[in-house]
Amino acid sequence: MKFNKKEDGSYELDVTGYVCPHPQLYTLKSMDKLQDGMILEVLIDNPSSVESVTQACNSKGFTILEQTSPKAGVTAVKIQK
Amino acid sequence: MEGSAPAKSSKNKVYAVGVIVFLGILSALYYVSAPVYLYIVVYMWFGFLYGALQQYGRFCFASAWRDLIMVKVPRMFVGIMVGAIVLSVISAYVFVKFPGGYHTANIGPHELVGGLLFGLGMVFAGGCATGSLYKTGEGNMISLTVLLSLSFAQAIFVALPFFDTLMKKLVYVLPANVTIANLIWGHKGPDGNYHLPDPAASDGGIGFFQHLVADSLLNTVLVAVLFMIGVYAIVVRKGFLKRRANELSANADGGEVKMGLKDDVAGFWSMISASRRTSIAAILIGIVAAIQIFTLNWMKEEYDFTNFGQVMTLTTDSGNPPPESWPAKDHASEVSSYGIMFDPGYWYITTQEAMFAAWAIEDGSGGSIDMKNNIYFGGELYEKNGQTFGYPGGNAIPKPWHSPALLLSFGLILGATFLSLWNREFKWKFPTKELFLYAVLGGTIMGIGARIALGCNIGGFYTRAAFGGPGGWIFFIGMGLGAFISAKFINYLANRKLEEMDFDIEL
Repeated sequence: MKFNKKEDGSYELDVTGYVCPHPQLYTLKSMDKLQDGMILEVLIDNPSSVESVTQACNSKGFTILEQTSPKAGVTAVKIQK
Repeated sequence: MEGSAPAKSSKNKVYAVGVIVFLGILSALYYVSAPVYLYIVVYMWFGFLYGALQQYGRFCFASAWRDLIMVKVPRMFVGIMVGAIVLSVISAYVFVKFPGGYHTANIGPHELVGGLLFGLGMVFAGGCATGSLYKTGEGNMISLTVLLSLSFAQAIFVALPFFDTLMKKLVYVLPANVTIANLIWGHKGPDGNYHLPDPAASDGGIGFFQHLVADSLLNTVLVAVLFMIGVYAIVVRKGFLKRRANELSANADGGEVKMGLKDDVAGFWSMISASRRTSIAAILIGIVAAIQIFTLNWMKEEYDFTNFGQVMTLTTDSGNPPPESWPAKDHASEVSSYGIMFDPGYWYITTQEAMFAAWAIEDGSGGSIDMKNNIYFGGELYEKNGQTFGYPGGNAIPKPWHSPALLLSFGLILGATFLSLWNREFKWKFPTKELFLYAVLGGTIMGIGARIALGCNIGGFYTRAAFGGPGGWIFFIGMGLGAFISAKFINYLANRKLEEMDFDIEL
């Protein structure tokens, strides 16, 4: 698991290699550390976690800005707090 | 590099089609070997459908409790309730069409204990028994580790003398086949279990509407709806009403808005419809589960047997010599002392994996380890009220390619492989030391829990509850308690891990 700063106010969390419940758990814990307006891009290679991450973010009022597939088996979810 | 994505996508689709072609060839080989083997081929293709649907809906019972507890996401919990409701309505018809085609296991506190262990294990493992199968199909070798741990833990556990003692106590003390319809209209037989009136008798047994009201509406629909209302009230309601009030307030130029019953109804519906794909998968899985029961029962009637073990011993139901569609020679060493093998006729997961592990242990030891000397695999007769019965068990240790339910598991893995390849979601994933430990620990605890409860998340809960057995809900509650304990523990470990990380966030 890696957490990197991409640019000011924008961060990346790489949870590839992890299975449930770790990707959704670390995503929400990382979001807790961000301030309103900041962006987190999460890289996940566990399809069921993608579903849980987007739902958890929606229910917490975070905005899903984009969901892409940078390579086969990997989903990038861009979330704004 | 930009142009390579579509090329990779089409390559994945070729592999996906390859999976279908492979299963097609395998099916043809079975048919050529003996047409009656179509029976286990059908098991395999139903497994394929389950796998594809589970992969589509990310259908995993572990996430039902775990995501609800850890990240407040009710998606899978609701999906499972919807699926159970659909299956229960169809099961009312199954009971009438195939009386005696489904029996629930003994009801009692072992379901709570087994469910608790199963719930504990599945959160560590990152998937339930059937979830681990479909995730293996996605290329996830962590899930394969879970499956192997679960399989071997079960096989070893049931071969211990303790398990035979437990089984005997359960069978002597606790009644089996307890469904709501049986409690209302059935009677206790000399075996201590519940039985419905004989459909062939003058009163004609009980009908579809009686099963519908008792087993479906009372045992499944009512309980599932109550669970969903509870989840809405505890987990969803507060956040939903807050967001809705903010939206309505913004539309009313900041004016005060009051929330009422219609807002709660909207919130409840939004909870159900929040994940379209999970709900669709849940409904389709319920329908497929029912069609599987109809199809396999129809095939049994057509091929003149009630258990596939009879095909292995060339023994027809009618007593006639086996027809030409049956194999030319018997495989009698592959059945239990009852002359049968595990052939549930419906969606089941863990038993066939225990059988596979037992076969691997026996075969791997060159036959020096006998795994059949127990009730679970070998079977044993007992006396009760002056009559002789067989203990539930006698699942046998057939060769994997002769095990109908194992073919279902095999098809399930490949169904998930097919769809994940098609949708570019397939990815080989290998365990780190940390995840390997979780997988082995979780799989082992799940396996032990499944055997104590006499079923896993499918046989112990999903089909058991949907077929009118209140015991299924006991297992489900146990599963929730276990999931709660391990979720708290994993959360604690995650917090410790995060403390060691440098987040470098400007605040």
